[in-house]
Amino acid sequence: MTSLLKVEGLSVHFSGLKALDDVSFELEAGQVRAVIGPNGAGKTTLFNAISGYARPTAGSVLLEDTEIVHCSPHLIAEKGLRRTFQNGGLFAALTVLENVMTGLHTQTPGTFFDVLLGRRKAVEAEIEIREKARDLLKLMSMDHMADTPAGDLSGGQQRIVEIVRTVASEPPVLLLDEPAVGLSPVARQQMMEIIKRLSGEKGVGILLIEHAVELVMAAADRILVMAAGARISEGTPEEIRSDKAVLEAYLGHA
Amino acid sequence: MQTSTGTLSKRRRIFWLVPLIALALPLLTNPYTQFIANAMLIYTLVTLGFSVVIGNLGQLAFANTAFFGIGAYASAIASTNLGLPWLATVPLAGLAGAFGGFLASAAALRGIRLYYLAIVTMAFGELMRWFYTHTGVLTGGTDGLPVSRERDFGLALTSDTVQFYVFLIITCLLVAGTVNLLRSRIGRAIIAVRENEIATASLGIPTSQIIVTAFMWSGFIVGIAGAMFALHTGRVFPESFGLTQLIVNFAMVLVGGLGSVAGAVLGAVALTALPEYVRAFPGMEEIFFGVIVMVVLLVMPKGLASLLARVSPIFQQRYHRD
Repeated sequence: MTSLLKVEGLSVHFSGLKALDDVSFELEAGQVRAVIGPNGAGKTTLFNAISGYARPTAGSVLLEDTEIVHCSPHLIAEKGLRRTFQNGGLFAALTVLENVMTGLHTQTPGTFFDVLLGRRKAVEAEIEIREKARDLLKLMSMDHMADTPAGDLSGGQQRIVEIVRTVASEPPVLLLDEPAVGLSPVARQQMMEIIKRLSGEKGVGILLIEHAVELVMAAADRILVMAAGARISEGTPEEIRSDKAVLEAYLGHA
Repeated sequence: MQTSTGTLSKRRRIFWLVPLIALALPLLTNPYTQFIANAMLIYTLVTLGFSVVIGNLGQLAFANTAFFGIGAYASAIASTNLGLPWLATVPLAGLAGAFGGFLASAAALRGIRLYYLAIVTMAFGELMRWFYTHTGVLTGGTDGLPVSRERDFGLALTSDTVQFYVFLIITCLLVAGTVNLLRSRIGRAIIAVRENEIATASLGIPTSQIIVTAFMWSGFIVGIAGAMFALHTGRVFPESFGLTQLIVNFAMVLVGGLGSVAGAVLGAVALTALPEYVRAFPGMEEIFFGVIVMVVLLVMPKGLASLLARVSPIFQQRYHRD
């Protein structure tokens, strides 16, 4: 099986500080790979370097065999790698439905002039993505909130809508930055089911940063452990659970 | 849900009543009020263009008077120096204004934002005013530049009534175009950039392109308003495009309601009409203007558009929140 995403020797160095140092891994279709590590381990830097928000000083990122390491964020997203943000990235003034529709922006036909002149092509495209966005919300049982401004949702609802928006265009690779942070146990359970459904039914390759251990152990196929910018271990949840290097990184040397 | 959206868009058709009623306006006016009504149409476009950039796109850019002046001078120069009929100068003024918008967006794309963008774009406006004053050969300098009303495709553009109908058609077309844009994926992307530029890019939306588009559309409609202004006053002077103009335009945006199309119309109409009532008390105009702006913003921080929203949901200003 060829890998969807292949990260090799990825590094981000700022004048002496190694925020990310020589990290390599692969992600396959339908696989959930968790990235764990203490605060400051470089997990979010890894996400930023892959998705174009931080400039890697060395290394390579192949998305379906295409090098994306020096592409801008919107190009990487257009190529099929999409992400969510730790502190939430919803557009508060837009409704839930409109937020999901922005996720379909690149798949909406019609030029500037089609839109400006209200040509049939643009009007029909608009109706079509509106319906599609509504259907996607229905799948997550969020359609009753479609016309609510996104800023009025609860934290858990916002996380779910952000994921719906991010996967609306059916990207083959998804990067989730702490999707369960601040969620109630029930919402956390729901989030885990969403992640499993995306990987299992849709075959999305998911890279997941998460601190909630039970969620990581239950949802991840593979785990990448980082500390101080570098990879310290890699394996299945069972292997990681009994890994000495991991225990040391978290608990300090005994 | 679907039905409510359906009826909402049907009910939006009542907006076409506004220009239809306006068609009959010249029957009720005298030459003086007709002149004011024409100015209202010009300022509707000026305010709308300004509101797209500072309200919808959320960029603190104050190059609006630059666009307005560039359009007015493009029209006057094409008319006087090149001998083109006024109607033919209108698209030229729009393109010149759009180019001004492109220049202003370049500053924003270079990472100049917030207060820095405000000061850079204001300097752009002042630089243009200096240019009009000091390139007398082209612009007539402080003596101003006349706009020829002679050749005009058989339209007697000297008549304020004829001007009114021409302005009304242009304004309606540009307002409709702006509404189409704002209600499309481009309009959503413009607001998305305001709300969270980083997250917008993560959805594959080319944020730079969206910023340039919003600025250029703003420049285009304000540039066309400039051409209308040139015809309306018959002669353009550098002093018309200074900081006073900018402050008045800014007040129109705020009084109407940031980022609202209906608000732009209301703000422009209200603040064009009200100062006329105090013409009789020289020296009081500025004070009166200031008091009006303060009272409206204290009572209705979201502008006159929020008043309409209370009357009917179709005016709901969904695109701006605190």
